[in-house]
Formats: sequence, structure tokens, C-alpha cells
Amino acid sequence: METITRRKFIQLSSITGTFLIVGCVPGKEEATKVVTGLASQLKGINLNQFISIGTDNSILLFNHRPEMGQGTFQSIPMILAEELEVNIEDIDIHQSEANREVYGSQMVVGSRSIQTEYAKLRLMGATARELLKQAAANRWGINIKDCTAENAVISQTNGESFTYGELVEDAGKLDPPESPPLKDPSAFKIIGQPVWRSDIPLKTNGAAKYGIDISVPGMLHASIERSPVFLGKVLSFNEDEVLAVPGVKHVFKTSRQVYGRTREGVAVLAESYWASIKGRNVLKVEWDNQGLEEINSDTIFNKYRQESKKKGDELFGRGDALSILNSSAGVITAEYETPYQAHVPMEPMNAIVHIEEGRAEFWGSTQNPNGIKSFLSRQYEIDEANIKINYTFMGGGFGRRSMTDVAEEAADLSFKSGKPVKVVWSREDDQTQGPFRAASLNVLRAVVKDDEVKAVEHKVVAQEIRNQTGDSMEAGRQLMGGITTAYLFPNFTVRGVLQKHHVPISYWRAVYHSTNPFAHESFMDELAHATGRDPVEFRLNLLEHPRYRRVLEEAARITNWGEKKEGIGRGIAVVERSGAHFAMVVDVEKKDGGVFPKKITTVLDLGICINPDTVRAQTEGSIVMGLGAFYSGLTIENGAVAEQNFHTYQLLRIDQCPEIETHILESIADPDGAGESGLPTVAPALANAVFDLTGKRIRKLPVDLSVFG
Amino acid sequence: MAIINLTVNGEKKTIEVDPEMPLLWAIRENLGLTGTKFGCGIAQCGSCTVRIDGESVRSCTYPLSAAEGKSIVTIEGLSEDNDHPVQQAWIEEQVPQCGYCQSGQIMNAAIFLEKNPHPTDEEIDQAMSGILCRCGCYTRIKKAVKRASLS
Repeated sequence: METITRRKFIQLSSITGTFLIVGCVPGKEEATKVVTGLASQLKGINLNQFISIGTDNSILLFNHRPEMGQGTFQSIPMILAEELEVNIEDIDIHQSEANREVYGSQMVVGSRSIQTEYAKLRLMGATARELLKQAAANRWGINIKDCTAENAVISQTNGESFTYGELVEDAGKLDPPESPPLKDPSAFKIIGQPVWRSDIPLKTNGAAKYGIDISVPGMLHASIERSPVFLGKVLSFNEDEVLAVPGVKHVFKTSRQVYGRTREGVAVLAESYWASIKGRNVLKVEWDNQGLEEINSDTIFNKYRQESKKKGDELFGRGDALSILNSSAGVITAEYETPYQAHVPMEPMNAIVHIEEGRAEFWGSTQNPNGIKSFLSRQYEIDEANIKINYTFMGGGFGRRSMTDVAEEAADLSFKSGKPVKVVWSREDDQTQGPFRAASLNVLRAVVKDDEVKAVEHKVVAQEIRNQTGDSMEAGRQLMGGITTAYLFPNFTVRGVLQKHHVPISYWRAVYHSTNPFAHESFMDELAHATGRDPVEFRLNLLEHPRYRRVLEEAARITNWGEKKEGIGRGIAVVERSGAHFAMVVDVEKKDGGVFPKKITTVLDLGICINPDTVRAQTEGSIVMGLGAFYSGLTIENGAVAEQNFHTYQLLRIDQCPEIETHILESIADPDGAGESGLPTVAPALANAVFDLTGKRIRKLPVDLSVFG
Repeated sequence: MAIINLTVNGEKKTIEVDPEMPLLWAIRENLGLTGTKFGCGIAQCGSCTVRIDGESVRSCTYPLSAAEGKSIVTIEGLSEDNDHPVQQAWIEEQVPQCGYCQSGQIMNAAIFLEKNPHPTDEEIDQAMSGILCRCGCYTRIKKAVKRASLS
């Protein structure tokens, strides 16, 4: 059986021979300082992301961002290749190891990778290109202006040329240019092209390795029974009976931290995955669930409705919305509910950790390699230099793999057993243990007079990820994600009423942008009808922000918005997420007694688009995830999640997937985040389309559209 | 424990295992073929799909005792050089994102097209509806199955 032992990670210190190195010294993301030189001169210098060009023309890029399907594995080298004037296939990508000191943040969350790397990669590429040009110019005794770089070759007008490899040694001795010229976006040849991703062939023949595929010598497999009731404590368990199961080696109580709360479980450690499951099947744990079973989805929402009567904390304010709302008759009010959701990446959560005297090693799929390293160092008092983090492709993340809890379990069990331990969660574990996307109640109120909106209040009643424990009950700005304050209502207040209880929540793709816009953009549709205006015209009348206007106008134009089609309902929504602005039009039709989306058109303005095919893929995926969350959600019953696996928690299937069309608008602005585009608009645009066709407002998710006809 | 004889990707294999163990874990752990994935354990997601005697089978619920003497093909055995028409179509349409479910998607599509080489769009939807993709690559899967059926 194939095993991966100490996976080799190439670092600057291990590069021998003559290589031109261009890299950034660690520091604040925005304060990029480029360092250049030959590998031998730069030993001992910590470089953030760097490139290395060899005398054999080899080009290595050390990428420090993990890959979970978002496609930065390809778009990061594309940015470099553009400025360096090489072909994308000339670049060999090496995944660098986890090291906060050297690489800075390696977390892949919030659609940030490209946004934060774009300027650095361009600067590194341009610096290397200019050094190579200068080296050639010096050899020929001509001005650098008379040298051109293309396809990894520097040429002059008489046709003479040097390959990059031939210039490496000379270039490494030159001082880097102060501010190398960056290409004008109109001259881009690679950025903006739908370049094929190099990881895709590996993902069509079973060759791509994920955390769950890794096996290390001598490891034990662990399956952990955790209290189905959130926060239940272990009272006792039948250790002897479990140890009698063939292959079972140990039974340990274990725990993990989830946002400041300790979650307990009992782990069965065995020689194989199957033996750990057989052991777990005979495991009986007595739990202390006192007072924890009284929480249900119904009680949560009833409480939230009561709490919504509180004034709450102001998160955004313009004018004096409250006095107008409180002194006017005929206030329009609507309440919107969204449920808890699980992340359910297709690769179940897993981790391998080996804790030894003075050293530790991790293998697995993670969005947060540095977080795992810091945890291991802190918890087991091991110097970070002696901790190795080996990360693989992720079988999906969606926010779940930004947490380090599974590695914490594996570490605890390795510490207790003295062996490397692989923890694999079952799908039921994954779906019922959380942490989840927060459920929320949004209450919106407005005053309309003479067909004009005079005042709007948007109140969010929900738990906040950053503030789940402790006494502070002040709502934070995180709660207002996805609420468009660019709408120029003369009186507008956004308020939060913070909720605290022990259902665990965390970051889920698009975070509060996955819930608040359902309420906000549905209510805009309600107000458009209340003022007798078309939903697009209504929004345009209230928006001066050029990017919101542009995506709305383009979406209306591309979809022939004004044109009524027989039997088709249409809805629109517009949202900004991670800097990207997007408008979405959903067309629905009646079929077999229900109403179904037929076509979803998205128009995006996300600045310069590195790889349009990757952006389209991310948008398609976001739409599918958003549709799944429209139709299915988690229910809390007696302190636990009711939906155990995919038979009751329905992810979207291929036969429910409508036609999806994505338009990316031209832009020369720096790139915005693309990984969540489209998700926030699905629910409101679809609900608005259903209203257009049937006259029925959807204000509570999930909803079964098959009975809506 | 029992001795089980299997033919996997054309090679005869003998393993000594608990006969109740699902085939998936024998493929992954005993034979080291990790291309076949664990997703749900209850035959609802299809990440574990393999071909057994020409049929599309969810290996996570298929007991090893039933696999005795059967001929099994996993993603690693679908082609020599990644050149099966379905694999090629998957690359042409740039289908995978995270890639985790794709072994199951590709195996299911390949088996389906063996039985129905020229399917309609509705037949493709129906045949592929048993395989979940959380990244949401469905529009591309539809195109890729269609492309493979035309090649």
C-alpha cells in the first residue's frame, strides 16, 4: 500500500546551484519589498512567496495557498507568467509548507487569495523580467529599452537572443529596479484567458491525493462518538466491550474546542477504518445532557421573534429612520427566516497527527495550515521549527476546513496512544456536529409615502461567529454582511440583536452574505411593488454607486428584462461580496405542479478577471450551493440535529440544476474575490421570480417549490 | 475473517478481511487504490462508485462477501493513459473543482454510456442524479457526458 512519509517541501535553504531568486520579504501584506539575488547569496533570508529561475530555464513558483477547488492553483501562476513573459506551462508550481513567519497568512477564506497576491505576484514577475533584460542589455552593450522579453527569451532588434537560463547568473548580481514597469492591462496575454487548470487531469483518474487518502506507517484509525446533543459531557462508556472487538487498540475520552466551548467525545482507535467503525458500533456512552435538550428550531425562532422587538444596536445609520417608522401609519413589515446549514464538503473531515517528544507532524486537507501549526505548538509546547504541516488537495472546504478542531482531536489521540492517529469523521458526524451556518431572523420595516420610500429599517437577529460566548451582548458589524447600504434611502438604519446559545456556528461560504441578502433583496422587491415601480428601475433610482448600477443595467440588457414571457416568472437581485458586484436574474416556470428555476443569468464586475473559466466555475458552484440551501436546511430537535445524512439533508442534484449563464464584465480595476459570487443573490432572485409568477412571497427557507404550482 | 478473491482492474487479488466490511474499504485500504472515495456510507452520494460486472455500484454499502469472484473496475483501471472518452471530455469541459466526487461521476458516466451510448439530456440528468457534487459542477458534467457520447 502506498504511503506518504515525510513529504518533501523545497525551501530556499535547500536550493543549491545557480538560481535567480526573486521573492518578497515577510511583512504586512500591503508593504511588499522585493529581494533578488542568486540562491547562494540569499541563504538565511526569509522570503515570502518566491520564484526561482535556473540556468536550465526551469521556473519554480512556491505557492503558499492551499487548493480546495477554488482554482488559485492555476490563477496564481497565471499572474506571475503574465509579467515574467513566460508561458504558463513553463512554470512548475510547488506547494510550500506551513510557516506563518515565512509566508504570512496562508488561510484560504473570504475569496481573498487572488486579491492579496495579485500585486505581489506582478511585482515579482516584473522585477525578474527587468533584471533579465538588464543582464542581456549589459552583455550586448545596448539600452534596456531595446530589449524585449517574450516566451522566456530576451531579444534585441537584430534578432540576437538569450534564454532566461543563460542570463540567470548575470541577473542575480544586479540590483533590482526600484519600481519595475508593470504591464498595461490592455497588453495582458495570459490574464483574462480561460487557461486550463493543471490540477484537472489528476482529478479525472484518481491520482489527486486528499487528506483522507494519506496513510503513514504505524498509524491507528480513530472514529469518534460525540454527543448528539450539543455540549453533552461524557459520564461513562463501556471500554472493555469495545476493546474486545477485533482490531480495536484503545478507547479514549477526547475533546475539541469549538469557539471557546469544549466538545467531548469517545474515540475508538483501531488497526483499520472498518475496525474503528465496528468498535464504535458497540460503544455505549452515557452522556450528561442536563438542560441541553430543550433547544429546538421552533424555540430558537420563537425566541428570535420576541428578541426582534428589542431596539438592538445600530450597525449603520443614515437620517432618522426610527422616528419616522415609529410615528407613521401603514408601516410595511416583513420577516424572513433562514435555517442552519452544514458545510458538508464531499471529503469528510479528517486529519492525521503524530506527536512525538519535541516534534509533531500533520497530514491532511486544511484551509488553515498555520492555525494547526500554532495549535500544536501551543498545546504540546513544541517549537514551531519542529512541527511539519503537510497539506494536500482539499475535497471541498466552504469554510469548514478553516477550523483546526479535527487536527486537535487527532493530536490528542496521538498524544495518548503514542502513535500517529488518523481521525475520519463519518458523514453523520459532519452533518450533525457542526459548527454550522447560523440561522437568522431578519425583520424589515419601511414607510412609503407618495410612492417614495421614506425610511427603512433592517434588523438582523442571529448569533455572531466572532462573539459566541461571554457576557457581551453588543451586536457586531459581522451581522450586517450582505446588506446594501449603498441604497440611498433618506432614512436608513441597519440594526443587530445579538443572540447567544450553544448551537455552534462558523464561517460557511459567503457567511452572512448567504442569509441577509435573501431578506434585503426580497424586501427591495416588495418595496418596488409597493411603490409601483419595476424592480430594476426601483433599484437604479436608489443607487449611485457605479458598479451596482453597471451590473444591474447589464443584467437587464442581457436578459431583455422588460420583455414579458408567457409562463415565465422573473426575479432580480444585486449584491456585493468580497469586492465583487453581481446582479442575477432568475427565470422560473411551472412544471408538474411545482415552480422551478429554468435559467439563472449572472452578471459580474469583479475587476480584472484572472481566469474567466475559473470565475464561471466558482459562480456556477455558488449558485448550486445557494439553490441547495433554498430547498433544504438543518432542523434542531431536542438539542441535536435531526437530519443525519444525505437522505434527509438534500444537497442539490444534477436533475435540479437549471441552465446557468455567467457574464463577466470588462474592467481594469484590481481583482476582487470570486469564490462566493452568485451565492448571495440566488435566494432573493429566485423568491422574487416565484412571486412574479405566482403572487406568493417566500419569506421562510427552506421551501419546497414542488408544491408551489 | 475470511479469504476473499477479487479481480480488480484485471488483476486477481486475494485478501483476508472481515466479510461484512464494505468493498470500498478493501479497495482503499487493503489494495491501496485511493481514487475511489468515501462520501456518505449509505449509497446516497456516489463518490464510491465502481463497476462490478458491467454495473454501476456504490461500493460503500456493497459487502465484500458479495464481491467474491467478481470483476471490479475502479477509476484507476478505467483507462491506461487517462484517455477514456469520458475522462477526455471531463478535461475538455474543465469539470472538476475540488475533484473529490469526480471518480464516482466519471465511473457512473462511463458505465451509463456503455449501456446508452446516445442519451438525451433528460436521460443524462436521470442517470447522473445519484452522484452528488458539493462544488456544483453539474452544468459542466452535463456538457461533458454529452461530449463523450458524441465522441
